[in-house]
Amino acid sequence: MPTGALAKKLLLFTGVGLVVLLLVGFIFGAVGSAMLGTDQFLDKPEIHLPPQPIFPADVRDEHLGLLQIDGEHHGEDAEAHFTPLGATEIAVTNTLLSSWFTTVVLILIFVTAARRRSVIPGRFQGFVETMIEGVLGFASSVLGPEMARKTFPVVATIFFFVLFNAWLALLPFYQFLGFTQDGEIKAHFLRSAGTDINMPLALALISFVFVEYWGFRARGFSYLKKFFQLGKIFRGKPSGLIDAFVGFLELTSELVRVVSFTFRLFGNMTAGEILVVMITFLVPFVATQFVFGLELLVGLIQAVIFAGLTLVFLSVATSHEEH
Amino acid sequence: MVLLGVTELGVNLPSLVAYLVNFILLLGILGVFAYKPLMRMLDERTERIRESLEAADLARQEAANAQEAIQEQITEARREGQRIMDQTREAAERFRTEEMEKARQEAEAFVERARADIQRERDTALQEVRASFGDLAITAAERVIRSSLDRTAHESLIAQVLEEGESLRRG
Repeated sequence: MPTGALAKKLLLFTGVGLVVLLLVGFIFGAVGSAMLGTDQFLDKPEIHLPPQPIFPADVRDEHLGLLQIDGEHHGEDAEAHFTPLGATEIAVTNTLLSSWFTTVVLILIFVTAARRRSVIPGRFQGFVETMIEGVLGFASSVLGPEMARKTFPVVATIFFFVLFNAWLALLPFYQFLGFTQDGEIKAHFLRSAGTDINMPLALALISFVFVEYWGFRARGFSYLKKFFQLGKIFRGKPSGLIDAFVGFLELTSELVRVVSFTFRLFGNMTAGEILVVMITFLVPFVATQFVFGLELLVGLIQAVIFAGLTLVFLSVATSHEEH
Repeated sequence: MVLLGVTELGVNLPSLVAYLVNFILLLGILGVFAYKPLMRMLDERTERIRESLEAADLARQEAANAQEAIQEQITEARREGQRIMDQTREAAERFRTEEMEKARQEAEAFVERARADIQRERDTALQEVRASFGDLAITAAERVIRSSLDRTAHESLIAQVLEEGESLRRG
């Protein structure tokens, strides 16, 4: 650790370096080039909501429009156009690859910690335990200690998966590894899985099924009474219509959760990705760091929200009180 | 067309299935190989810490008890010592009194005996003197009678007897 004068000098150099980078970024970024007429450092990014297929290669080339380069269409309409995968088309997308990457990282971290565990923890084990205990404490505060332990694996996996997906996507190789054409990246090899609507949708379905499972497990078939409050109608009471309508509302809100879960995560992750790309385009280098800081926070918040809402819905589904 | 909008958004059934399978696999692997052993270990640690704290409490309690017992023993020993000293002092006092009494009695007895001895000696002496005077008187009478009644002889005789008696008394 440098001290005194050396530290001051280092701090000064870093500060000056950052300012210079910021200025250079400004001048050669999109904003500066528009104002000063300089050459743009980066090309205008293309934003595609659907993920890009990576494997198999022919599917990739077809959807990225790369085939045309080698073919006879080389010419004025050689501009590659991206077409999304069909609804049932099978391919490994870059988002799916990144989710596998996240999965491998998670397994490495947790299983390594578990294999090397001891009652007196080292630093690494302490770090992993802190994460586990954090989620467990969070779950306990919503569900109580007993239910928290039973539901912990699913809730924790959702939390860690969302969190690590978001955070790992900030690593530089997510941005520079890709398939290029004319020096331009047409498809990144890895892309944050949260920006692929299928991933939030899958998590939302898991969360939904899990909540309903616990609802049935805790309350048996009387769990369904919440959605089909038809008792009064069968007894011929007109007010039963209101109950039936309330039940219908409950059922709708239960199903809509899947949609809201999906689009909340998808929207946040995609917005973050677009923000990073756009800021990098507008003012390259240093300015992006602030967005990265923001994205770290957003990733954590989304993980907490996804796991937290699952916990809250679990708590609602398993509580025995009648309304 | 609705389906077109869905693909524009990126919805893809095989991907969805892949994510589902991926998540379930991750859940399974983490659940079996990470969460379960780690949670067990955390529980174990909690248990151990609880046990250690309880043991420490117990040890502290025992130490306090032992301290108390030792204090009690010390107090008891002190009391015992005091008692023994008191006893000894009392015994010594009693012994001294007894001995003094005994000595006094002995002395008195000795004096008494001495006094009795003296008395007896005196009585014996008196008797002896008395007997001697009787004999002396008889002797004097014999002499008087034998030497007839010569006045001068008579007087010298008496003087002689008296002298003898005097010498006798002196002797």
